[in-house]
Amino acid sequence: MNDLHQISSVLGLSETWEEKNGSWWIAPAALDIRLMAAVMRSHEARFVTLTAMQLAQDAPIRLDYHWDINGQLLTFTTYAQGNQVPSIVDLCEAADWVERETHENFSIDFTGHDYEPLLLRAGDASGLQLRKEAP
Amino acid sequence: MSYRVPIGPYHPALEEPYKLDLVCEGETVRDAELHIGFNFRGIEYLAERRNYAQVIALMERVCGICSNVHTLSICQAIERLAGITPPERALYIRVIMAELERLHSHILWAGIAGKVMGFKTMFMASFELRESIMDALEAISGNRVNYAMNRVGGVNRDIEDPGLLLGMLDGIEKALHRSIIPIFTKNHTALTRCVGVGVLSNERAKSLGVVGPTARASGLTQDIRRAAPYAVYERMCFEVPVETGGDVRARLVVRALEILESCKILRHALTTMPGGDWWGSKKKPKVPAGTAISRIEGPRGEVLYSVTADGVSDMPTRIRVRTPTYANMPAIRVMLRGAHLADAPLIQASIDPCYSCTDR
Repeated sequence: MNDLHQISSVLGLSETWEEKNGSWWIAPAALDIRLMAAVMRSHEARFVTLTAMQLAQDAPIRLDYHWDINGQLLTFTTYAQGNQVPSIVDLCEAADWVERETHENFSIDFTGHDYEPLLLRAGDASGLQLRKEAP
Repeated sequence: MSYRVPIGPYHPALEEPYKLDLVCEGETVRDAELHIGFNFRGIEYLAERRNYAQVIALMERVCGICSNVHTLSICQAIERLAGITPPERALYIRVIMAELERLHSHILWAGIAGKVMGFKTMFMASFELRESIMDALEAISGNRVNYAMNRVGGVNRDIEDPGLLLGMLDGIEKALHRSIIPIFTKNHTALTRCVGVGVLSNERAKSLGVVGPTARASGLTQDIRRAAPYAVYERMCFEVPVETGGDVRARLVVRALEILESCKILRHALTTMPGGDWWGSKKKPKVPAGTAISRIEGPRGEVLYSVTADGVSDMPTRIRVRTPTYANMPAIRVMLRGAHLADAPLIQASIDPCYSCTDR
């Protein structure tokens, strides 16, 4: 719990952590994603993965960043503004593949991360597989 | 002068399709590029088009080796969302299935590693022993690969005679102590082939976020069964083997010791399993809106499922699957740098990769 308070305080978040279904969640109105990655790194948190989702057609893309601190799972929920999100790869190399996969599935550009295909093969259309407007 | 050696996507040195482009100087690997996606099936897309019963069968097909891990993960996530607690006996059966699966997966890996090393005796001994574990899994579930044991709120089949399994476990443990464990931990041929090969330092293991035996062989202690226990793991007595060498030998030893710990857990679960209901509720689960996450320690490491429901549809809005090989595979590039070209197949095999899981 001390870690959670410290993390929120360094990130300047007014929202509080909520325990839901066995893990801790926070959904800040404004989240500096790169600062989050830097703070989690300073707490020796392990980056687990990123879950992207679009809950309805035309809804913004929701991004859940999952981190582990000593077995405790912490999730930051934020929304992509337009189709661009700052990359955290330079701060957290474990995010490389998942940012590339999210780019392929949701057509989100992680700025500062050179895009290389991951799951798609040459000639495949990139970007819209998991968007709700996908056929 | 450097030259490139392409291996794969279909190659005798790789068990599954993926591609390694090795940049070599003489016999030394200077860098490696990894290419995946040759098994990509769009399972996360398909999952949004299946109801909560159908999606379990779909997820069982993510992997042919650790299929039980995937159904357990998704059932746990749906149960958390719907506020369902399975009966005690079902939780014990889940632990027994998970550990039998870990046993057969680790022993399968031992055989494959033996084959890659050119140590065919290890391959034969491992595959012979693995058969008896496959027999146990078949006796319980009726299936050798996709066991279909987990359902939301319980399990689909009981273990009617734990005594029979205990007898089988005695035989498996004897064979392990006679052949597999000494080969893994003491055999000169096996160990000299692996010492100092494919090193992943503790620092890089942390930074790359590797999981499972790959992480524990680099000195990280993480094991979801201990750190965030599920089912009835908090009641099981077992150690989490950790090695600090970070090389192929350390990964070999960690898996060997984990085989023995799995036997310990199996014996404990089989002798303390309570009687009673194992099926759970017969009602179709009502899944409210929200997101729940489930994490399981699979044979290759942490598996994460995130399930999101809208509370209206009988199909999930989003299912995210993060498999252990997906987390471990980028580390192969680090392990390969500076290695001998001839060690490349062994190094990539040492993380026990599963491309079916990785590609989904």
